[in-house]
Amino acid sequence: MTPPAVAAASAPAVTRRVRVPALVWASPIYLFLALFILFPLYRLFVDAVTTEGGQFTLAYVADFLRDPFYRQALVNSLILSFGTVVGCIAVGLLAAFLLVRYDFWGRSTFGYLTMLPIIMPPLVGIMGLVFVLGRAGTVNVLLMDYLGLRRPINFIYGWHGVLLAMVMHYFPLITLNLVDGLSKLDASLEEAAEAMGSRGLRKMRDIVLPLVTPGFVSGATLVFILAFADFATPLVVGLQNLIASQAYLNIVQFVDRRLFKMGIVIGALMAIMAIIFLVVAQRIVTQREYAVLSYRPVERQPLRGAARFLAPLFFIVVLTIAFMPYLGVMLAAFGRAWSLTPFPTSFTLRHLDAVLHLTPIYVINTIRWSAAAVAIILAVGVPLGWILARSNLPGRGAMDSIVTLVLALPGTAIGIAYIRGFHFPLLGIILSRVWIIMPLVLAVRRMPYTVRATFASLLGMHRSMEESAASVGASGLRIFKDITMPQIWRGVLAGALFSLMFVMQEAAATILVFLPGWETMTIGIFTYYTSGTFGQAAALGFVLILLCAGTLYAAYHLTGARMGGLFGSGGG
Amino acid sequence: MPAFAWEWTVMQVRLEGVVKRFKTVEAMAGVSLTIREGEFFTLLGPSGCGKTTTLRVIAGFYDPDAGAVYFGETPMNGVPPADRGIGIVFQNYALWPHMTVRENVAYGLRIKRVPSSEIEPRVHAALRQVGLEGLEDRTPGQLSGGQQQRVAVARALVLNPRVLLLDEPLSNLDAKVRARLRSEIRRLQQDLRITTIYVTHDQEEALVLSDRIAVMDAGRVLQIGTPVDLYEHPATLFVADFIGTNNLVPGTVADVADGMAALRTPAGLWRGVVVGSLAPGAEAVAAIRPENLVLDEGAGPADVSFRARVVLTQYLGNLVRYELEAGPGVTLRVDVSDPKSHRYVPPGQDVAVGFRASSAQIFPADTASHLDPLEGARR
Repeated sequence: MTPPAVAAASAPAVTRRVRVPALVWASPIYLFLALFILFPLYRLFVDAVTTEGGQFTLAYVADFLRDPFYRQALVNSLILSFGTVVGCIAVGLLAAFLLVRYDFWGRSTFGYLTMLPIIMPPLVGIMGLVFVLGRAGTVNVLLMDYLGLRRPINFIYGWHGVLLAMVMHYFPLITLNLVDGLSKLDASLEEAAEAMGSRGLRKMRDIVLPLVTPGFVSGATLVFILAFADFATPLVVGLQNLIASQAYLNIVQFVDRRLFKMGIVIGALMAIMAIIFLVVAQRIVTQREYAVLSYRPVERQPLRGAARFLAPLFFIVVLTIAFMPYLGVMLAAFGRAWSLTPFPTSFTLRHLDAVLHLTPIYVINTIRWSAAAVAIILAVGVPLGWILARSNLPGRGAMDSIVTLVLALPGTAIGIAYIRGFHFPLLGIILSRVWIIMPLVLAVRRMPYTVRATFASLLGMHRSMEESAASVGASGLRIFKDITMPQIWRGVLAGALFSLMFVMQEAAATILVFLPGWETMTIGIFTYYTSGTFGQAAALGFVLILLCAGTLYAAYHLTGARMGGLFGSGGG
Repeated sequence: MPAFAWEWTVMQVRLEGVVKRFKTVEAMAGVSLTIREGEFFTLLGPSGCGKTTTLRVIAGFYDPDAGAVYFGETPMNGVPPADRGIGIVFQNYALWPHMTVRENVAYGLRIKRVPSSEIEPRVHAALRQVGLEGLEDRTPGQLSGGQQQRVAVARALVLNPRVLLLDEPLSNLDAKVRARLRSEIRRLQQDLRITTIYVTHDQEEALVLSDRIAVMDAGRVLQIGTPVDLYEHPATLFVADFIGTNNLVPGTVADVADGMAALRTPAGLWRGVVVGSLAPGAEAVAAIRPENLVLDEGAGPADVSFRARVVLTQYLGNLVRYELEAGPGVTLRVDVSDPKSHRYVPPGQDVAVGFRASSAQIFPADTASHLDPLEGARR
């Protein structure tokens, strides 16, 4: 046979051509990760344990731990995050099982709509919910007008409100991960159990749930970390004694230096806790991940009896609540002088005009920063994905951990880290005063989606395709351009669109980093909302939703349906 | 035999006119079978022929749309798999990856609430039965394909099933392991004398293992018989083509008499045993096995003889295989089983070929759609 001989003859030449430059062209990637992820984090941790004069001290940490207010805030945050996870599991698990295993009226439509809450930037979501469920919101006005209620029902101000908002916003992360895991299970695994008499809940407990544990844990960890880091939702409904909210409030005030230092300590603490959660979750996931190939997916069963009606009802109720913020934002964006009526009495384009023409800075900035951020993400994320999937460059394990870590780090922590890290001249530039820091912080925070998509696409493409190109003498870059790229561009682009969507939604890090003139739409929404200009806030929210929906739609079209993997915190 | 006493209840399995449809496709178009007590019975056919569906109906994973399944005299329609007393081995083994070997095998006993003091010895006995002692604490991911397959068999046997169902259990293994496990399965079945129903698309596997075989195609049973029956007396052209190797040569019937027919083929006038009904003038296909064709050297009394050109000569050690061209579009394979006493004919030469009319069969051509052996695989 001749082919092996040919491969053997050309292999040394190809390896020589590729290997030497690999480290060279990879060096900017290493440098980027070190400078824009590790360095600011390092500064954050150092700042938390040094005085203004640079002396090592644990005084601030001790201060934090001794302060009963902060201790309570920490406990509150943990309880809230845990509650959110429990709620998301209850809703997300049921939704996933119904969608994957059963057939009922409207199933595929509900499947698509379950993605709905993800398009909603968290800040816009809670604002929209207030418009509908708030004291003077649509529901309460209707109840008072038509059912004679004297006082409005408190649907959302307080713990239950935050919990409701968060569960409705984050449950799709559990659903997506579980749908992915469940559809990969081979039917025979369950049939083998059934043949022995293991049915229903018993089968669920012994066979099904253990096998979907990785997706389950990934989703739950992500929800926990996101709920733990969310500072805006509690603030909007009037809760301040949470750790993330305290970090934000302490940093944005510039009066009290001690409070500012507390903010840094909290930021560092949140980063450490996120790392701990992540490590624990990763350990569970890797222990429980099995390479089970599905030969034959489990057949969907039609629901019978009452379940036939209860399943659609469940989705209608959940999706109605999930859809409420959209309704609220729409009404407020187009309503003229809306107060004390269930719906606006007359409609106007004034708010939209205000945010698009009179003060277009928010939209312009978001587009500017997003474009620059996606450019950075592609320039760094695609090579990084390639390094992880295909190369044998040193430090791949560490790079993989960094990518996963970034996904889990609270935006507030990254924001604080950037403020502290780039506050000093670096090569004569104080980076925190140059606009590029905005796209940089956005890119760093949302890059993991693109890295993972690239990585996954490369894994899905057999190496022999590249090897056969190498065997006929194509060089490394040539192979990438002619063979690799045509096969993975869809996946990469879908990943980049996901990055883009979350870049546009980002508020936590940018709200700490921005200087006047750099405000994004999310910052604009926050500013308008807190200053009582609800119409403009809603109009900006409306535009942002449209942009996010368009991006998600494009990503969905490129990849088909399987996107659960992109949202997991484990694996990859 | 193991120290633990196995109590087997041997069971007859009967299918009566079973029909199973999936949307518009009839996966079983009226299947009737009787599988005898303690028999090793194989469902054989190309993929999509309905064999796996038949197995799953017997297991109880599917309910038949019409017809009935009996275990002994008990109708099984509507009885869930767990209550049928079956043990099943899936094509991909379906071992639970999160459980150890011991847990996998013990799981069914736990579900059946077997006293825990009894579980350990039974698991041990089942694993010894398949030669897997000492691997109890491994997880399936740490086992080779062959070992996983044995765990799956142990897991099926530990419940003392009345019927053992095997769905292409060897198809994911490499050739060497497959051959070894094949004989192990057969030996185990003969030791236990358990009624065993085996699904495969591999005719060689079916011939080696089975007491009897049902050949299926397009949801129907074409023929049921012992391996010898099927090989020597195929009832249809499809069976003749599917079991072993056959040279199939189309032609027109010239004459029919006393169960023998003369067929006008591109290779001359052939004679053979009539299978089915044939009339002069009808299109038909002659089937003759490579080992029944004789080259001039080893000439004995041949009823039919003709000349052909050697296209390819292959030396296989225990036999020499020729590919001959015997007229337009007629390629014949001839196996000469004793190469030592045979003069090797190089490609390009003409040879005389002959066969006994009693070793050839002539089938009506209305089943000619099965002439393409790849067709079954594509379906």
